[in-house]
Amino acid sequence: MTGSTSATEHSKSASDRGEGGRSGEGTDETVVSVRGLTKTYGSGDDHVLAVDGVDFEIDRGTVVGLLGPNGAGKTTAIKAMLGLVVPDEGSVTIEGIETTDAPRAVYRRVAAMLEGARNVYWRLTVRENLRFFARLGGHDPAETDVRERHDRLLEDLDLVEKADVPVNKLSRGMKQKTSLACTLARETSVVFLDEPTLGLDVESSLDLRAELRRLAERESITIVLSSHDMDVVEDVCDRVIVMNDGQVVADDSLEELVDVFRTQTYRVTVDGTLAPERRERLESEFGADGWTTVGDHQRFDATLRRGEDFYAMMDVVRESPCPLVTVTALEPDLEDVFLALTDRESETSTAGNGETEMGVKMESESESESESAFTSDTESVGDDPQAHTPTQTEAADR
Amino acid sequence: MTATELSLLTRAVLEKKVILWRRYWINTAFGFLGAYLFFAMIFFGGQAVAGAAITDTLDGIIVGFFLFSVAISAYHSTSGQVTREAQWGTLEQLYMSPSGMGTLMAVKTAVNICTSIAGGLVLLAMMLVTTDQTLSIDAVTVVPLVVVTTLSVVGLGFVFAGFALLYKRIENVFQLLQFGLIALIATPVDGREWLKALPLSQGSSMLQEAMTEGVRLWEFPAVELGILVANGLCYLAVGYLTFHLLLRRARKLGVMGHY
Repeated sequence: MTGSTSATEHSKSASDRGEGGRSGEGTDETVVSVRGLTKTYGSGDDHVLAVDGVDFEIDRGTVVGLLGPNGAGKTTAIKAMLGLVVPDEGSVTIEGIETTDAPRAVYRRVAAMLEGARNVYWRLTVRENLRFFARLGGHDPAETDVRERHDRLLEDLDLVEKADVPVNKLSRGMKQKTSLACTLARETSVVFLDEPTLGLDVESSLDLRAELRRLAERESITIVLSSHDMDVVEDVCDRVIVMNDGQVVADDSLEELVDVFRTQTYRVTVDGTLAPERRERLESEFGADGWTTVGDHQRFDATLRRGEDFYAMMDVVRESPCPLVTVTALEPDLEDVFLALTDRESETSTAGNGETEMGVKMESESESESESAFTSDTESVGDDPQAHTPTQTEAADR
Repeated sequence: MTATELSLLTRAVLEKKVILWRRYWINTAFGFLGAYLFFAMIFFGGQAVAGAAITDTLDGIIVGFFLFSVAISAYHSTSGQVTREAQWGTLEQLYMSPSGMGTLMAVKTAVNICTSIAGGLVLLAMMLVTTDQTLSIDAVTVVPLVVVTTLSVVGLGFVFAGFALLYKRIENVFQLLQFGLIALIATPVDGREWLKALPLSQGSSMLQEAMTEGVRLWEFPAVELGILVANGLCYLAVGYLTFHLLLRRARKLGVMGHY
């Protein structure tokens, strides 16, 4: 995998150019600013550098995904941003206020869900929790606007019927939603969510994601969300900060990150079997590999260096007596980007069947259908291969 | 922090407490009943063993038990609440209160002392009915004495709360300290001035005088009252400072919310 360096360089150069206004010197709309954040746990030989000189800025109303494998430093970074962990070095400014200088002023503007369902009192009802946390934040639940906000949250999170039920009698998903409702019980401009969908079933996770997206759009709140669930980040976030070994290895919009890893890789299926000399030509000129025979069809993958190579390759296929069945453009998704950035393929190669804890490694996706890859199918090939490959996203089903 | 915010915080803490008392009323009732039965065991057991002789010291036992029930409740509320919040996963949420952890802890402590005294007074009434004894219960004297005496125990509670944040499971130490509280309440300070520096002991002695001999608050020597107030405030301040240092240490080690 060679993508790691290029992605990092790309994101750095993009931020240097000020693309998206996300890094660099910041703007008037910068809500969160992190500078040189460093945190080490332990000392001597046992020390662990959890966060290593992390820098980034977040604009108002952005939903940022903090992505990384276990131990990447996501939670420590979030807790250090919130002042719950004392950093060794660096500074964090939220709404222009330094967290270490005036934590209370920061806490007026920030809410956080750090332990999922454990953030609330299980022996209180949903509504009692809302009232408690609103008061804790200095909001009187007797006031009409606060009460209306709570009613709206209960409605939005589908908790109305459970409002007067003690939390310990709710399902895990409902508990998690209660926790989110309590985090939002008082109006704040920034919300930190650490693994908000951890342990949820698919349906609850999808509900929660939809709610987060809706909240971000409707209330223009800035959300910093950590997860190692790529589907969540992909569904909810505008921007992704990938952390690995305590460092930021990429920081860009989701589209930009995926674009960096977008290669012109195609899966070609023909009816019948190509002649050996034609197969050799495809291999030598276009790097065709992954040859598979499925029934009467033969399939191969090819990663092309230039756009015009696509037409040349198609000409070679057309010249054969085997009719073309399909051409599929294999596109990377966030999982591919993540695996590349965090250099997980070295681990996957020793995992036996090419599967990682996160999924299927990037290279193997060209050999077998990945569960998470976006695939594009086409029955015909036109002038612009990218333009003629309607996307058939599996993400919606996940 | 504004008065409104302080009022909201107090209502939040108090409402939660009352809701839990009512929702788990059997637990609440058995808490009282357990304390009462413990006293009854001492009283009736003592009568069986010592006969009428126990009557001579009964007033002292009742006052001591009343103070013990208030002190243990205040101590547990302070030290136990931090441990429990860390266990539940809510401690970091409380830390992020815009009022500040210090204010929140102070409010919780004040509410805990008030509820502990209220519970202690109910228990006191039950003890007096059971033993058919009478004591001088002048609220203007008893309540301030109990509040100031309890401050030293709250200070100890803060110290143990801080250690619980760092070392987590230290409940067994809490249990041991319960016996320590009995010893401190029973320690006679008359003639041994240095013992007045211990938590609870000076207050216990003055409370005995107030309730058994009817001494009013303003009838105590100013020096004795001064020692009591200084004792309470010193323990509270040292305990609170220690808690803050240990809390900062826990934040530095990244273990504040761990359990």
